[in-house]
Amino acid sequence: MSLTKMSMIVVIKKQYAFKLQAYSQVFLSLIFLQMIAVLFSLGGVASMGSSDGMVEVQLSYYSADMVLVFTMLWGIISAVLITTKAYRNDDYLFITNRLTSNLSNLLFLLTASFIGGITAILSSYLLKIVVNLFVSEYFFSNPNGWPGALETLLGIFSAFLYIFLFCMLGYLAGTLVQFHKSLTALLPAAILGVLFLDVADGKAGVFADIFTFYHSESSVFLFFLKIMATAGLLFLASAGLSNRLEVRS
Amino acid sequence: MNAIECKGLTKMFGRVKALDQLSCTIEENKLTGLIGRNGAGKTTLLKIIAGYLRETSGEINVFSQPPFNNLTVSANVIFVHDQMNLPTALTLEEILAAAGSFYPNWNHGLATRLFDYFSFQPLQYYHGLSKGMKSTFNMILGLSARCPLTLFDEPTTGMDTAVRKDFYRALLKDYMDHPRTILLSSHYLDEIEDLLEEILVLKEGKQLLHTTIDELQEWAAAVQGKAAFVQEWSKNKQIIFSEKVGMDQMYTVVKNDFSDKERQLAREAGIDLLPVSTSDLCVYLTSSSIGGIDDVFDKNVDDSGD
Amino acid sequence: MSLNLDGSKPIYVQLAEWLENEILNGHFDSGQKIYSQYQLAEMFMINPATAAKGLNILADKSILYKKRGLGMFVSEEAKSIILTKRKTQTLTGLVEELAAEAKQLHVSIDELIKMIKAAMTRRAEE
Repeated sequence: MSLTKMSMIVVIKKQYAFKLQAYSQVFLSLIFLQMIAVLFSLGGVASMGSSDGMVEVQLSYYSADMVLVFTMLWGIISAVLITTKAYRNDDYLFITNRLTSNLSNLLFLLTASFIGGITAILSSYLLKIVVNLFVSEYFFSNPNGWPGALETLLGIFSAFLYIFLFCMLGYLAGTLVQFHKSLTALLPAAILGVLFLDVADGKAGVFADIFTFYHSESSVFLFFLKIMATAGLLFLASAGLSNRLEVRS
Repeated sequence: MNAIECKGLTKMFGRVKALDQLSCTIEENKLTGLIGRNGAGKTTLLKIIAGYLRETSGEINVFSQPPFNNLTVSANVIFVHDQMNLPTALTLEEILAAAGSFYPNWNHGLATRLFDYFSFQPLQYYHGLSKGMKSTFNMILGLSARCPLTLFDEPTTGMDTAVRKDFYRALLKDYMDHPRTILLSSHYLDEIEDLLEEILVLKEGKQLLHTTIDELQEWAAAVQGKAAFVQEWSKNKQIIFSEKVGMDQMYTVVKNDFSDKERQLAREAGIDLLPVSTSDLCVYLTSSSIGGIDDVFDKNVDDSGD
Repeated sequence: MSLNLDGSKPIYVQLAEWLENEILNGHFDSGQKIYSQYQLAEMFMINPATAAKGLNILADKSILYKKRGLGMFVSEEAKSIILTKRKTQTLTGLVEELAAEAKQLHVSIDELIKMIKAAMTRRAEE
């Protein structure tokens, strides 16, 4: 029987198609999480009220930020999930090497982040409609009216970038955990520890600095560059680390 | 051409040596049986060949390339084992389609015919199958992929006798129609020996024996008769197994290098020279002591510990 | 079909003997094409290399001959070769064993010959 040669591009394409199908549970959990986030958001993020005895005014602010936060968390969780044993060895059923496996995971996470970004932004419309119809008696959208198409696209784009950044964080964490089981506990403990110290200090700490670095960037292009450079580094680290990893079952 | 070549292949797990300076070659298009006790290193060897594990030292080439992290080797090898982690989100039908999308030689006709023959339902999920059914499904993947190198690690785990027979028949037929290199590890040597052309016996991570199955069938002989005579007859031979039978009888398995003259003399002396079945022989060869489990219960051994 | 009735001989030897029987029983005449390696492998569920080995011992003994690209054929003198071989090898071996057993049981030569004669007559009557 003659040997077959397979180009890397062909294998990555096949793996990507396979993963969209095999990892479809990831998208189910996305829908579920976003629904929960919308439900939570129905309580409003802030409210005030006044009354003069005759008239009572109750003012509530609603925001879909919670949905975005949940989606980012979902990004981390999904990325960690596909590095766990149940998923990571799927590639080895068929044709793979470590690089194609990592690259097809990257494509999958890009797709997932994109879908997560779209649905997160669109859910703010859902929130508005639900609040308008069922919760509030008088509904005021933001003073500039409903956002325009460009604004929505920009929203989707930056949501996508944030989620993708979190995916890459999760992916690196998941890869690290494969080296030693104890990292499963150490890694979250370290992150929580640093957070805790930040809070205890009372001043802006590491996380706040990191947050500002991305969040206060006013140029969309620079923001894009910052995120992509960070995500790229995270991915390279994961791919480099996992390139010599064995398949253990 | 050789499909697999190992030289001084060693694999350590922590301080445990799973493979110890293993050197062997598997020729192309041969159906070889991989035999050994649990822990002899069969699965480790197969995992290294499939590129799952990296050798600690030594050299291994599969189709003249080191298999670890190698896309070409991966494209030409399918590794079927009982720990296969098939995606839980896909139905059996979808898994077959996915496998078909990867393997260039995949024969979907064969896959679906076997699928129907073994009464699988297209919409079933893999994790819902019984152990035997899982093995059967894995086997369908392994055969239909028609990879130039097909590795089966204990493929019949959990299968009932009828399915095992069907599997052997399917394997042989497909092998004849599409000759390829097949490595088959199994605990049931007596069931598979007729299918095999060669047999590779591992013991404690080393190659113990690599020969054609025909030679193995004549490789050893059992000497049976009065203990004194048997000891006399097996004096200059390589003793593989020995046990006392009854009062003064003895059964000793030795390497078969008796000449016709010796056979004649033995017969006249009332000594039986008997053939040894290959599966018994492999048990004797791979056991750690010459007397087998009986040594453990030997009453002559002092139990007091001094 | 199953060959491995008696595990005392390697499969290819058993296969060769089975083929000899087929020829002796007249299932294959001289000049006729015999089963191919693959047919035999499938019939007996054995490795085709083992089947080829079985055919090759018969070819070595001139019971079969090869026609390039066509397969193996039964030779003109196949039957007589098989018969002579069986007489010299099989029968001698059996007689040897018979003699040893008779000695162990203290059966005299005359007694043994009588038993053989009786067995032969019974066969003839059947």
